[in-house]
Amino acid sequence: MNAIISLCHFCEIHGPQVLFCTQPSHPQGIEGGVSGVGVVVEEQYNTMQLLLSRTQEQDGAQDLKSLVSEPSTPTPSSGNHCEGCYSVKPGFVSHDDDVKVSYVSSRQPHNREVFSMIRQACLRSLTGEVCPGTEGPIFFGNDQQGHVISYSFHIKDFQARGFQRRYSIIIVMMDKIYLLNSWPFLVKNLKIVVEHLQEKAQKVHDVEQTKSPREPNKLASFRINPKPARSLMELTEDRNIFKILHVSFVWILKACGNRITESLLEGPPTEDSIIDMEKQEETEEGFIKLFKKDDTEEDIEEEKETEKEGEEEEDEEESTSAVQNIRYLLRSLGEKKFHILAHHAVIGNQIIVRGALKPAVKAVLSALKCIVPKGCCRVVSYSQEYEASWKCNFLGLAPDVHIPNHIMATEMFVLVEVISPEVDTTVPTTISPPGLDQLRECDFSLASPTTLPDKGPAVLTKMEMALKNENLTQEVLEQYLICLKEEWMNKVKVLFKFTKAGGSRSEEDTKKLLQVVGAQEEDKQLLKFWMTGLSCHYKTHILSTTKSHH
Amino acid sequence: MSSYSEDKVAGSFGSFPKGFGYGPDENDTDTQASSSEHKPRILLMGLRRSGKSSIQKVVFHKVSPNETLFLESTNKIVKEDITNCSFVKFQVWDLPGQIDFHDSIYEECEAIIFVIDSQDEYMDALAKLNATVSKAHRINPGIKFEVFIHKVDGLSDDHKIEAQRDIHHRASDNLAEEGLENLHLSFYLTSIYDHSIFEAFSKVVQKLIPQLPVMENLLNILISNSGIEKAFLFDVISKIYIATDSSPVDMQTYEICCDMIDVVIDMSHIYGVKDDAAFDTKSASIIKLNNGTVMYLREVNRYLALVCIMREDSFEKQGVIDYNFLCFRQAIQDVFEVKPCSGHASMALTSSSDFPQANGAIK
Repeated sequence: MNAIISLCHFCEIHGPQVLFCTQPSHPQGIEGGVSGVGVVVEEQYNTMQLLLSRTQEQDGAQDLKSLVSEPSTPTPSSGNHCEGCYSVKPGFVSHDDDVKVSYVSSRQPHNREVFSMIRQACLRSLTGEVCPGTEGPIFFGNDQQGHVISYSFHIKDFQARGFQRRYSIIIVMMDKIYLLNSWPFLVKNLKIVVEHLQEKAQKVHDVEQTKSPREPNKLASFRINPKPARSLMELTEDRNIFKILHVSFVWILKACGNRITESLLEGPPTEDSIIDMEKQEETEEGFIKLFKKDDTEEDIEEEKETEKEGEEEEDEEESTSAVQNIRYLLRSLGEKKFHILAHHAVIGNQIIVRGALKPAVKAVLSALKCIVPKGCCRVVSYSQEYEASWKCNFLGLAPDVHIPNHIMATEMFVLVEVISPEVDTTVPTTISPPGLDQLRECDFSLASPTTLPDKGPAVLTKMEMALKNENLTQEVLEQYLICLKEEWMNKVKVLFKFTKAGGSRSEEDTKKLLQVVGAQEEDKQLLKFWMTGLSCHYKTHILSTTKSHH
Repeated sequence: MSSYSEDKVAGSFGSFPKGFGYGPDENDTDTQASSSEHKPRILLMGLRRSGKSSIQKVVFHKVSPNETLFLESTNKIVKEDITNCSFVKFQVWDLPGQIDFHDSIYEECEAIIFVIDSQDEYMDALAKLNATVSKAHRINPGIKFEVFIHKVDGLSDDHKIEAQRDIHHRASDNLAEEGLENLHLSFYLTSIYDHSIFEAFSKVVQKLIPQLPVMENLLNILISNSGIEKAFLFDVISKIYIATDSSPVDMQTYEICCDMIDVVIDMSHIYGVKDDAAFDTKSASIIKLNNGTVMYLREVNRYLALVCIMREDSFEKQGVIDYNFLCFRQAIQDVFEVKPCSGHASMALTSSSDFPQANGAIK
């Protein structure tokens, strides 16, 4: 997260002061410094667990100090600091090697402009803004001075006036939307940090209180010349308090950054990309769990095949090779057979691919997937037993798997047998790139209990034309397929809206609408099937808007 | 009072430094009166730990002086609105000593009370005073400067005089160096442990009341015609007197009058018929002291009380005194009724006409 967290306090002598700042620093900025600090880079990081690299009290410190003070540090005169303003010298650094970010904690940010922002935020947070109940979070700021979440609180101090001192933790960020979206997470975690500090200080305070004289007169004289201010270390009796703060702040910055990621949208999102986004669902802790929807599919896969080898890498290459594969599939099956297969695929009939060669089976499935919208694909890529069609419309099976009789009799499906040459089985899955190589050596046989009308949906015809057109390169073909799918998804949307919004629609109306969107009788089945692939987002949106109309 | 002729535009409250976030919405939380009536603003300034917050607490919150020892250090401006609970309308802003505020804070203020801790080394305070005065005067020449030489309870009488002389001398010298010799600073010896802080605050507030000469004159007429020795017009809530006759104020007299108000209010609270109105139009009290003097308290309006001290033999003609008092009360009410036409918005005084029904009047 591109923000600065800092601890501020209201000094008895100097007024509001910034004590401690933690900010992420990208390597190019502090290249010299990182190499100077050296050894620390060795530290390994797990996803969430950040290690405090080294508390550079003495030796490594010099390097960091030179680095920190180099670009015109706004140096407050040394006399301007009392014990109450005591902070870290020079600071701490943590490196996150995964994303190449270093987190630097120091008394002040080394950039002058940033410092003035922080200083301003500190002033406002401690002397300007009033939060309800004197302790708690508050948001303020503007585009020039940055947006700030400030959490102000008291720390008990037996020697202080009023027996407490005022502190605040501020998070300064330029991105208001991001900051406000992170509010629940930030406030919750700041509260934990604050309560930790308060708890420690309370203990120290209680001990001091029992030692102090009881009578008010003596107490008064006892308090006449107390130290003007004590440092946070003294108040909490914890020498490592700043290290703890560093680790906490770094964690907050990192975790908050992981919590919400921004993605750049080039134009409005396609239906497929929305489906992808929906797969990332927020978990209770506020973190994004990737591919939630896929869980079911993956579970099944994992159950069925224990030797699950590096599928993620395959996925990467799929999109390009899939297009290649589908062309090959077209050639090897012949136009007629391919038409039948593809026709089944686009109207949602179950495609069962059976074969000994797992990569080949997968390649066939992934090839077919690219003519169907993502939302409609429910894939079980290689299973040892039959899966019902409501579970998956793309099913890969091991060669000897028997398809139950009742399925054979009733279900709408098409069975593709991948007949691989003998040689291949001896050299099993060692050839890593899936697709062409294996596919080339395979033969296919096609069988289906159901017969489809001769005329396929219009979109399929167009797809086939494109596949047959050798002048189109793979990239062009791929984009063309995406466009076709998107074009028809839009028609599906209109139809969906039409059917859901108006209540009961007569046969006449539906016919008219289909005419308007340019769909024929033969497209109906396809439209119906593709409707199931609409994103939840769109569906709920339509349903809620139509409801509000009534 | 000539310095009060400049009209402050009512409703221009938003001039406080924007950087500190006191925007227009701050006004919304103020009383409705704020938009139509300008409330004079008194700034409490001074170094940290000089006793600003304590003064505010003791004078306006009835906090016991001993308890002020446990006040937290002030970290933001604390505004005290003396609008709703009192006859006199003004705002007191208690500023944290550690922070230098933006210049615009002086723009709409009427008076600055600068508090100096007399028990401490005061050279720093004098430097700050000088800086504050010259800056504030530059920005707003109409500001009155009041210097409270505070915490004098710890000093002997000789010391007090010496401190006042010294501070006065140095402050004037400093101002003369800046070419501001004509600027008048008023000095007060104050302590929260006696009534001196109330008296000093009274005088500060009095300067902000444009009707003061008229009221003083009325009081003079009253006492000369009624055989009264000394008369105070008190703001009942804060116990600061907004006017007195022109004879010198004796500290003890003032204190005993303050105490009398406390007694009356307390008695009224305990034995009054209604809970809400401890002080109303029939409130009156007579206390006879064993040295042959009589204290006489009468209600002037909801917020104001007249407290008089006189010889016992003068009090024999109580009918005359009561008649004179009724004349006086009528006159005071007349004075404040002309307020809207006067064009002086600097001191807003209300004349309340809705007097509550009579309750426990004390005889």
